[in-house]
Amino acid sequence: MKKACLAVTVLFCFSILFFIYPSSSAAKPIKIGIVDCYSGGATTFTYDVRDAFKMAVDEVNAKGGVLGRKIEFTTRDTKFKVDLGISVTKELIMRENIDILMGTISSSVALAVSQIVKNEKIPFFCTFSKSAKITGEKGHRYVFGITENTSMIGKAAAVGLAKKPYIKYWIAGDDYEYGHALADGVWGNLMKKRTDVKMVGQSWWKVGEPELTPYLTAILAAKPDAVIFATGGASMVNIMKAAKATGFAKKIPMFVHTATELSTLMPLGQQAPEGVLGTSNYHFYFPKTPENNAFAEVFKKAYGRYPKVGALYGYIAAQFIMKGFEKAGKVDTERFIDAIEGMKVGSPVGEIELRACDHQAVLPMFFGKTERSPDYPFLIATDITTIPGPDAVPTCEEIKKARGK
Amino acid sequence: MDIGQVFTLSALGSQFLVGLSRSMILFIVCSGMSFVLGVLRVPNVAHGSLYMIGAFSAFSIANLFGGSSVGFWLALVFAPLVVAAVSLIAERALFCHLYQREHLMLLLFTFAIMLILGDLVKLIWGAEYRSIVAPPHLRGSIAIFGSSLPRYNLFLLIIGPLVAIILWLFTNKTKIGKISRAAAVDREMVGAVGINVSWVFAIAFVIGCYLAGLGGALVAPTVSITLGMDHTIIIEAFLIVTIGGLGNMWGALVGSLIFGLTQAFGVLFWPQFAIVFPYAAVVIILIWKPTGMLKSVW
Repeated sequence: MKKACLAVTVLFCFSILFFIYPSSSAAKPIKIGIVDCYSGGATTFTYDVRDAFKMAVDEVNAKGGVLGRKIEFTTRDTKFKVDLGISVTKELIMRENIDILMGTISSSVALAVSQIVKNEKIPFFCTFSKSAKITGEKGHRYVFGITENTSMIGKAAAVGLAKKPYIKYWIAGDDYEYGHALADGVWGNLMKKRTDVKMVGQSWWKVGEPELTPYLTAILAAKPDAVIFATGGASMVNIMKAAKATGFAKKIPMFVHTATELSTLMPLGQQAPEGVLGTSNYHFYFPKTPENNAFAEVFKKAYGRYPKVGALYGYIAAQFIMKGFEKAGKVDTERFIDAIEGMKVGSPVGEIELRACDHQAVLPMFFGKTERSPDYPFLIATDITTIPGPDAVPTCEEIKKARGK
Repeated sequence: MDIGQVFTLSALGSQFLVGLSRSMILFIVCSGMSFVLGVLRVPNVAHGSLYMIGAFSAFSIANLFGGSSVGFWLALVFAPLVVAAVSLIAERALFCHLYQREHLMLLLFTFAIMLILGDLVKLIWGAEYRSIVAPPHLRGSIAIFGSSLPRYNLFLLIIGPLVAIILWLFTNKTKIGKISRAAAVDREMVGAVGINVSWVFAIAFVIGCYLAGLGGALVAPTVSITLGMDHTIIIEAFLIVTIGGLGNMWGALVGSLIFGLTQAFGVLFWPQFAIVFPYAAVVIILIWKPTGMLKSVW
């Protein structure tokens, strides 16, 4: 009797598996994992990436998903820490069985994660970290750069600054990888375009330094023609405040990457200094195209705020992922990568190519200066020069050289 | 670069004043921390979080009044009171049960409080950078020693000594202040003469935290109010309190001056490696006087 019972139970279980398995496999969602810093000051950028990504995914899911499968995503907080970034990445790959990985704002986390995905063969879309190494010398088949990097910023800034009459430059910034890479990028490219420029001094402060006034007063004493500030995160707002309070911005022309970006200008309201030069990948009010207007409007309606640069990255990443699977025809990593190499997708800033040689999104850059606007309660970028993506990215030859090939 | 060009009297003078004004903010925050450390023997890691809450509260209050001057002054008055209220709740509900624990436990406990407060700030105020503006007459800069100094920094130069005087009057001229000082030296004895030590501790804790909130509200117009500002200040605050002499409020003043001024002059003398100067000063002082510049109450 016991044996008969056991046999019936086993048979029953098998039959359940037999019936369930095919149907569940057909509806199995495409899983995307996002590892990013969702604690501390970085969240002002990373929330935008996540929210715009969700917006794009929701839209596609509402139409039935990709290849008949829904897109699902889950997030993990790295707290800006490399060890935590590594462990949550492994957890997402091993336990959540993700098909695609996205993130992160920290370059050191991104470089560590990039090594893991190389071994695990999971495509990784790097959405905010700016180190040129990610798709440059440390680039490989499974990593994709969906954001500007220090090399692109340097090239774009040099295009803008080379047109200015300044000779004696001072360089100042946050004393970490991004700050130095940014400064090196801008300065190296500027020297290529102008042989007469010279650097008269440098100052570096620790990341998150709240009081930048002593640095500015010291630079004022040295009287350079212009200053290149290589700052990121919360220092952006601090430097603008200190520049306004000391009257620095009126005395010495200053270039600050992302000075014209909304993350910097919105918190400052009308108190941001005018005439500060800056570069950014995205402004919700420029270019004034139907695509950009529609994107900004939908985002604002969904989240009650204007989209910042992170929103562009989140949106583009979603487009590449979804269109990539569509083109590949099935959820297969290698076919997916082959499909997106060289692919072009529409975006609020025009058509963006994901270059085959280094997997870098060829994003345009906007060089402008801060100015008051009658339309918004904060300053905006004006006199915008668009530096087309192909002019900003390093050439494929440079990438090959950097990778030692 | 021409060295003579940098070391002009004007540059030295303006760096001195800027460094001094930074020292004032540091002093206000650190004196509160030192007070708590002295009277309660609690190394409060969450002190930086209270400073952050002070800054965020100042933003909310100033925003209620549309960023007007009135809003700024009200923020300066009420933001520290918000922090004081938060700290009173924390003290009565949590801290008061833990004073007898060893320091490591207290350190871990306040660290946990710091993480909780950090997340609470994120829940309440969100992830965006915030900013408030000083009233019109405190904006912009004026020329001193031939170089421009932000007016707000001058305002801080007035507020700092004012806070120091009030603290001196409080600890030396009021009964509760005297009891606090006595408790800092020998709390068993204070209890033995029939004083309700529990409430003395609560008041001392709230005053210490109020100062953190005041520091946060005062710094708000000069920086971006952001998550993570707690971490930056707490490291500096611990260093300052240590070099000044643990638990000694005047030590906090000496420590803040050393820290603020070495930073400001470091920037002028060797801008590329300016970060090192205040920390090098800390190392030298700790080798020279391991218990800090002034007498530690520990």
